[in-house]
Amino acid sequence: MDVVVQLQRQLADHTASLFHEGFLNEQFNQLQQLQDESNPDFVVEVVSLFFEDSERLLNELAKALEQQAVDYKKVDAHVHQLKGSSSSIGAQRVQGVCIPFRNFCEEQNNEGCLKCLQQVKHEYSLVKNKLETLFKLEQQLIAAGGSFPTL
Amino acid sequence: MMQGNIWISTNLLGFAQSMTLVLRFQTRPSFGRAIFAHGSSSEPNSNSQFKGLKVILADDDDLNRTVTKKLLEKLGCHVTAVSSGFECLSALSAAENSFQIVLLDLHMPEMDGFEVALRIRKLRSQNWPLIIALTASAEEHVLERCLQIGISGVIRKPVLLQGMADELRRVL
Repeated sequence: MDVVVQLQRQLADHTASLFHEGFLNEQFNQLQQLQDESNPDFVVEVVSLFFEDSERLLNELAKALEQQAVDYKKVDAHVHQLKGSSSSIGAQRVQGVCIPFRNFCEEQNNEGCLKCLQQVKHEYSLVKNKLETLFKLEQQLIAAGGSFPTL
Repeated sequence: MMQGNIWISTNLLGFAQSMTLVLRFQTRPSFGRAIFAHGSSSEPNSNSQFKGLKVILADDDDLNRTVTKKLLEKLGCHVTAVSSGFECLSALSAAENSFQIVLLDLHMPEMDGFEVALRIRKLRSQNWPLIIALTASAEEHVLERCLQIGISGVIRKPVLLQGMADELRRVL
């Protein structure tokens, strides 16, 4: 079977499942629409920024929640940032966990915050893996001589 | 029949923004990525309407700033992106710069968007750029405060291409 067609199917299936399972939402479509010949790697660049930002924020969150006297304002600020960036790229599930997380911050509920931190870390690593797979499939497709139209 | 799938995603206003179509073909190599079909048909018009529009964008978040800047450029705008209220005011004060639109993130750490807007209004009496606020909040008091300060428009985050185009069209 033609390798290109096979890869295209894989890519299509993988992408479709990301949306169906709620990992990504239409905001991600938006990013893809912004990619063009003048900026062919736009999506990868933005998603990489998201990975860097998120990892930094998750570290900061872990540190902040370990303190003897937790500064909930600081924690909330970090979660707010994470919520903003995840919503900008359409990482829906990550964004979703940020909402109860912020509520727990307001309540100064340490246990709730820690639980949310675990959850958001989990969702982040899931979406990260899936996006990395997506990009790998795209690269394989291009390498095999196939292409996908940039919008 | 084609073992495919189709769904339409809408933007905040309920308009069909994009259509997603997944089909399985044997002989059409260009379909691999065509899942994300084109956005609304008004896009080509936006490009010419906003062509050369000078915009200054102030947002402290790198990721948001990158995405919003690209979005504006896609609409044909000429964008200067800064990461703080201070930089924004400096850029506006520079005599040779004449921006038509100022896009302000309301929630920047050192100087928030409201403060920047107030100072902009005090800055220049001749050159009055239109100020549009960017916010994740949908609260009434935020909108009211914007109007009081002289902010002409508000765009909710996360920013969509159509939302930006609509609001720009509205204020211009």
